Formats: sequence, C-alpha cells, structure tokens
Amino acid sequence: MSVAFGRAELPPEQLDALRRARRVEWWSIAFLAVTIVAVFAVMGNSQAMRTAWAEDLLSLAPPIAFLIAVRIVRKPPTEKYPYGLHRSVGVGHLVAAVALLGMGAFLVIDAASGLFRAEHPPIGTMSLFGATFWAGWAMVAVMALTIAPPILFGRAKMRLAETLHDKVLYADADMNKADWMTATGSIVGVLGIGVGLWWADAAAALFISGSILWDGVKNLRSAITDLMDTRATTFDGSEPHPVIERLEGLLRGLPWVAEAGARVRDEGHVFHAEAFVVPRRRPPSLRRLRAAREACEALDWKLHDVTIVLVDELPEEVGGRSGEEQSEARG
Amino acid sequence: MLRRIGVVLLGLLATLALAACGLTVPSDPEGTLDRVRDDGVLRVGATHAPPWVVTSDGDEPTGDEPALVEEFAARQGAVVEWRIGGEESLVAALERGELDLVIGGFTDATPWTDRAATTVPYTEAPGPDGAPQKHVMLARMGENRFLVELEEFLLESGEAP
Repeated sequence: MSVAFGRAELPPEQLDALRRARRVEWWSIAFLAVTIVAVFAVMGNSQAMRTAWAEDLLSLAPPIAFLIAVRIVRKPPTEKYPYGLHRSVGVGHLVAAVALLGMGAFLVIDAASGLFRAEHPPIGTMSLFGATFWAGWAMVAVMALTIAPPILFGRAKMRLAETLHDKVLYADADMNKADWMTATGSIVGVLGIGVGLWWADAAAALFISGSILWDGVKNLRSAITDLMDTRATTFDGSEPHPVIERLEGLLRGLPWVAEAGARVRDEGHVFHAEAFVVPRRRPPSLRRLRAAREACEALDWKLHDVTIVLVDELPEEVGGRSGEEQSEARG
Repeated sequence: MLRRIGVVLLGLLATLALAACGLTVPSDPEGTLDRVRDDGVLRVGATHAPPWVVTSDGDEPTGDEPALVEEFAARQGAVVEWRIGGEESLVAALERGELDLVIGGFTDATPWTDRAATTVPYTEAPGPDGAPQKHVMLARMGENRFLVELEEFLLESGEAP
C-alpha cells in the first residue's frame, strides 16, 4: 500500500519509519495509561507525586497529536485546502505546547506556595495484600518502575523523528528523554519526607513543574516559529535545512539560469518551495521549466510543491541586492 | 545519559543506606512520637460528637474514640492530656503544635484535610442518611512516624472496614 503525506509519496525508508513511529506512540500511550492509574493509586498527599501525575497526563498529548496529525496529513489538497493539510502537524504542536505551558505555570505556583506556606505533607500507612507499610515505599516503588521506559521510548522516537522530519515526534522524544528526572525527582521528594525533611516534597514538586514549564516554553517557541513560516530547518530546529542550498545549487547549475534563490517553508513533514530564477537571455521553454521543476522535486522526498518563478531581479530575501543598492544602480 | 542515571541511583542507594542505619523512615519533623514517649504525655483535643466522643463538664471525655486514644497512649507509656473545644480551635491548636491529635467523630470526608492529617479509617458506621461513613482521627500535618504508629494501632484494634 502506498502512503502519502498529501501528494508526497513516501519513500520506503520513511514508510517504515512512519509505521514504527505509530507503533511506538501506541506503546507510549499504553505505558502512560498504566502509569497514570498506578501513580494515582499511590500518590496520596505528596505534592511531588501529584505533580508527576499531572506530567504523565500531559505527556499523553504529543502522542495523541502525532497519531491524529499523521492521519489528517494523508488527505490530498482540495479546492478548499489548496496547500494540503500538512499544517495540522503545526496546529497539534501549538496546542500541546500551550497545554504544557499553562499546566507548568499552574504547578510551579502551586509548588512554590506549598513551600512558602511550609506545608508538611502527611503520608501514613497503606495496606496491600494483608501487609501494612508506610505508603511512601509504594510511591518510591511505582516511580522507580517508571524511570526506564520513557528513556527507551525517547531514543526510538528521536531516530524516527529525524527520518520523518516530524517536529511533534521530536518534541515528544525530547520530553520522554527528560522524564526520568521527573521520576527520580519525586522519589527524592518522598524519601525526603521519609527522613523528616518536610520541604523536600515541595522542592521536588517545584523542580518537576519547572521542567514542565520549560518543555512548554521550548515547544511553544518552536511551534510558533514554524507557523510563522520561518526558513525550513532540520528536524531539531538547530540549523537551516541543507536541502535549501542543494535546491539553489541545482537551479544555478542549469545552463539557462543566470541567478537563482529559493524561499522554503516547512509545512510539517514536507516543504513548499518558491524558487526565483533570473534567466540568462530570454525565458526558457515550458519543457525546460518542467524538467527543472521535476529535478528539484527529485532532490528530496520532502521537497514537494516546488514553484519556479521567472523574475528579472532576485527578491532581497533570497539573496538579491538590497533595495537601496538597486535604486543606486538604476539612478 | 546512562552514567547520569547511575549517579542518581547511587544517590538513592546512599539515602536508603543512611535511612537504614541512622534515621527511621518515616520520621517526625517535629519529633512528636519521641516526645510522647519521653514525656509520657499525649496531648489530645476532643470535641463533643456522641456516640463517638461524649464530653461533660469537669469529666474526661468518654465514648469509643477516647477509649481507643487512652489505649494507644498506654501502649506508648503515656497518659492523655485532654483539651475540650470546638473543631476549629482544636485544629488550629493542632497546627500550632499544641496538640498531637484531635478526635470528634470525624469521617474521611472531613473538610479539615488541608490543615490536619487524617488517619486511615478505623471503623465504618451508617451516617445520618444511612450511607456508611468511614471514621478517622486528625493528627498533626507531616508527623509521619506518629501517624504510622497510630494507624498501625487503629488497624489492629479498630474494626477496620
């Protein structure tokens, strides 16, 4: 079965990555569901545990956003949505980021006020299978079990996010990789209560909520940047995507092209590119134009929907001369 | 990454080892249980709530809960020092550390959970509407060793639901 993102047919490597990513996300959701129930059962009066529980709930958002988005982006462009539905990835990303930010801010305030009012969290006994023990041990045990899986999920998702060029998956992987700190933070908080340090719990809650807030800030920045049509970057947003330079190089190398520059934006998974081209003498034939377009789209599966515009001068933002220089040259 | 996890786990092990030799887990930030045992006095607030707590002028309170509390104190080698009052003033005294425990027919639906630590239910009885209610006592917030000692006693002696 061929799977496409909009009109972009996926190469076998991406097809495989997509299948694996969906499987990993379903496993993530299953793991989170178990964790959420288990943590809720033991969390009691520990603020650190309640904060960790809130984080587990929030961690459901990126996998769900991913699974919904990859369904939606398959739809081909229509008259009403002429660019396709790729932006649904960005919308999902923004919604998840705002949720993280809002919840993180709320939890930071909650933890700080607990610390400020010097709340002493009570943790009593718990009975399980006829044995009675301090409930703190159950909290420590549950949190210890949740340390390892997110790290493994995070690593797998990170690799797939690069192959698929999926920023929601990347954000999810990034959060998963930091999840072990939440679990260990709440263990330290509970053990702190155990040895009589009442403030350890609120301090751990503050640390965990701070990490949720930070996740929100990072994701919000990345989601907004993408929706603002920033220059396409690599999947982790660290540098301009190399395909831009390759695209420009290819066009400049064509015999009929004098100058070329491209505007490339990330629609989520795939790129839309507008290439501005100054022909050497007279405009090329339609056949040559089409050949150039097909060569561009063959560069990378992500390069999809390349528009070639013939101009007499390159626009400033794609490497043309600045307005002042131009008027000077004319004058 | 794996090394960092190793460091954290080592830290946890160190905490546990420390807890095993020197400290008791859980322990009381304000040392309630040690003080009760050393001074031989358990300071308890009681509010009138028959049949659980019956207070009358000049006498010590009677009822199911005072009986349980007297027995718990005896096991710790302590006598009970009673203070009779309304719920709010007793809970406030508990918060200030003037009392160790407050009783008064409280259930697990008590609105005082933000200001006092509720124990595990020690018995269940039909409430005014016939629905079963789980009865608890109020201990001081965060005194977890005292709380665990009391809960173990309640689970053992009460008709735990």
